[in-house]
Amino acid sequence: MTRTYKLYAHLLAGCLAATMAAEVVAAPPVPRPQTPPAVGSVYIVGGELHVGDGTVVKNATIEVRNGRIRSVAAGGAAPANAQTINATGKWITPGLIAADTGLGLTEIELEPSTRDDSLHTEDPIHAAYDAASAINSRSSAIQVHAIDGITTAAVAPSGGLISGQVAWIDLVYGDDAGMVAKAGVAVDAALGQAYGGSRAATLDKLTDVLDEARKFPQRKQAHDRGQSRKLAADFRDLEALGPLLRGQAVLTLACDRASDIRAAIALAKRFGIKLVVVGGAEAWRVAPELAQAKIPVVVQPTNNLPRSFDRIGARSDLATVLQKAGVEVVIGRPGDVHNIHNLTQEAGVAVAHGLTWEQALSAVTRNVAQAYGMDKDYGTVATGKVANIVIWDGDPFELSSAPTQVLIRGQAIPMVSRQTLLRDRYRDLSRFRP
Amino acid sequence: MRNAWQYTLLAGLCLTVGCKKTAPATTAPTTKSSTTKPASTQGEASTLLKGGRVMTATGVIIERGDVLITGDRIAAVGVGIAAPAGAKVIDVAGKTVTPGIIDTHSHMGVYPSPGLKAHADGNEATEPNTAYVRSADGFWPQDPQIDYARAGGVTTCQILPGSANLIGGRSVTIKLYPNLRSVADARFEGAPDGLKMACGENPKRVYGEKSGPQTRMGNVAGYRKAFQSAVEYRRKQQKYKQGLEEWEKNGKGKVKDRPDPPDRDLGLETLAGVLDGKILVHNHCYRADEMSLMLEVAAEFGFKIRSFHHAVEAYKIADRLARAETASSVWADWWGFKAEAYDAVRENAALLTAAGARAIIHSDSPVGIQRLNQEAGKAMYAGRRAGIEISEDQALRWITQNPAWALGIDSQTGTLEPGKLADVVVWSGNPFSIYTHAEQVWIDGEVVFEHGVTQPRTDFSVGLADGDIEAGSRARGGQQ
Repeated sequence: MTRTYKLYAHLLAGCLAATMAAEVVAAPPVPRPQTPPAVGSVYIVGGELHVGDGTVVKNATIEVRNGRIRSVAAGGAAPANAQTINATGKWITPGLIAADTGLGLTEIELEPSTRDDSLHTEDPIHAAYDAASAINSRSSAIQVHAIDGITTAAVAPSGGLISGQVAWIDLVYGDDAGMVAKAGVAVDAALGQAYGGSRAATLDKLTDVLDEARKFPQRKQAHDRGQSRKLAADFRDLEALGPLLRGQAVLTLACDRASDIRAAIALAKRFGIKLVVVGGAEAWRVAPELAQAKIPVVVQPTNNLPRSFDRIGARSDLATVLQKAGVEVVIGRPGDVHNIHNLTQEAGVAVAHGLTWEQALSAVTRNVAQAYGMDKDYGTVATGKVANIVIWDGDPFELSSAPTQVLIRGQAIPMVSRQTLLRDRYRDLSRFRP
Repeated sequence: MRNAWQYTLLAGLCLTVGCKKTAPATTAPTTKSSTTKPASTQGEASTLLKGGRVMTATGVIIERGDVLITGDRIAAVGVGIAAPAGAKVIDVAGKTVTPGIIDTHSHMGVYPSPGLKAHADGNEATEPNTAYVRSADGFWPQDPQIDYARAGGVTTCQILPGSANLIGGRSVTIKLYPNLRSVADARFEGAPDGLKMACGENPKRVYGEKSGPQTRMGNVAGYRKAFQSAVEYRRKQQKYKQGLEEWEKNGKGKVKDRPDPPDRDLGLETLAGVLDGKILVHNHCYRADEMSLMLEVAAEFGFKIRSFHHAVEAYKIADRLARAETASSVWADWWGFKAEAYDAVRENAALLTAAGARAIIHSDSPVGIQRLNQEAGKAMYAGRRAGIEISEDQALRWITQNPAWALGIDSQTGTLEPGKLADVVVWSGNPFSIYTHAEQVWIDGEVVFEHGVTQPRTDFSVGLADGDIEAGSRARGGQQ
């Protein structure tokens, strides 16, 4: 399910200019009221399209209309007088999707006043905590990442055993009302010592809560009448786990040690829930089981150190080992807010350690959408999908490459961020005192 | 969801609970180090790296050149170098040869992996001025992170105390030799000690609810107080030395006239070393206004700041940094994790270089240190995209020659030039490509890492890395 997308990009350009470029001397005033968005199609022509599913379309013609991809064809041509974006000699990919990020929930990590990523209560079960309404569409990080090709993010809260509901957003700067494409795509949780300082207690508690949540619909009336024993969690949290238990949302579960991953697989099987392992440093030890249970793993290729005893088996080629075993690999930067744009570097490092290029692209596009159950609308450049498209000046994973244009929901975004504006402000120091 | 950034912040600021100030060591802090070169350059064995792209970090790139290594030194760099009799010749056609990478900012060994409480030895956060401690004394040579850094082409790095304190203590510059048993085995022979200082948020956060400082005002007052004490300490020392010289010159008269030495203070001795220019100041400082202030404080007391570290806003004062001849050790793109890191731009290093200031790409991270070549690449390309001309040689200097200068070892390493130590990396391709890896890493003329062949491990990994136990007694090299 997705919302009807509003075409806000022209508005955004205005917002950016008004709020960010106030100090840029030459910034032209933005005409108001804005003209309505173009209703005609835009054609991206001439580029080499890497679809995201492993296929490549040379000299592609992509028709974008009303925020969606209307058609994709090899060769072909735009109708005369149509609005076109010439991508000749360029690479085209789906917009990259950041799994498990805190984007929009945290402006500055060490400043609590800028953070809404975590519910601060004694209770470790925050299943009903839905961060979607707290996401700041004007966070400086939105444009920083968008102009580097990240168009979509799974925004997860943090803290506790069950952190809360994950929101699927498009990086539409300034669009508070519309940027959340779907709230509650996942429930985020963590194994290890998230509860009671013990992994046994954590697993026990999670099992208890899921069990209670499964039975709660039958007990709800008694609970509402005040005739219920003490529940394993607040009734709102139990209700919030309903979609997960009905297969309408997935469980993103942070765990690294092989034994924790095995426990997670068993838990998912017992409750019939769709599981996504996040982190998974030792997932390679459990690869056959993960493959068989069709459980994707979100890995960060540069995160290769034994930084805790749960990660003793960490390795740089984790993505490759999992892929070869038939596990669906998602490449991400779990928990990151400010350097999500390095998703391309992560993908390149995975390729340097054995993943094929197209597999790595899928791992930051299609596979992310599949893992979160959003692949009907996201993850590849294909007819009917949301028109999140990036045009690159070279191999997207190479350090030398960058997007020349990013389209989000069919609209070309302004290719500026607070960072580029600060850079331009200080390029010439002659107006400052020595 | 866990917060990956916490690791990085903690690395700089890990506070150990219940950490007690240790009694002053009986031995004096000293910049003199023991000799730790791997033995056996007997007979001056030679190796010729032949036919590679040689990036010297001196302004010269030889598209198809040779590097001759003899003993622990680089003997020749050029085109068509004849291999001496008996020399080993390695064909490096299609590969790139660079100087070993140097990181000015690492906490390996003092904040090791795994991040055990027991191993957090980087911040003596018991008082804001701990000039008397030395990171060398907290360095755990079995930190597995060292192996990963070496595999990334790093041959030298500075191990700094953390940034909890205004004055955190002495740093030590090490070479990433394998098979260490103590810090002395790793010391870069002849490298000066550094002094870690920290501005801004960290000290005021750590001490704000304790002894103070609570504000940036308190921070700066703390530096000035410390260096004023050092000035007075040095005056007493000089007076004593003069008196002693006079006493000796006058034929060593009565013993009772021999001047008494003033009390020795290890912290003030360190700061006096800074005033004498023997200890190089490495100053964690993010904001342009604070860096400007620190340049003033340093000028007031007559010392130099060798390098600002992190220096996220250095681009705002690139002209001042160029005039002060103070280097800036920066990241390619870290930002936003705290208020003083909010104004980052990707072109920081490029803008500094364009202004004639000395830029360095540093890591402050056991992850980042594994691919400083990529970080330099990101910064170079960000500059180029913004229209700032940065050559590959300049970008390479960000991670070789410039950090060598900041650490005071540029006469020994940091470039491919005859006479320098043979700290060399052979890369599989262009070091600024994401797909390139270090194939061979040389330190002091010895191969210390070879992709897929020689992968030394610290003790920690033994029996924990996959395959050790399964393989029984057969030693395994895999560490990845």
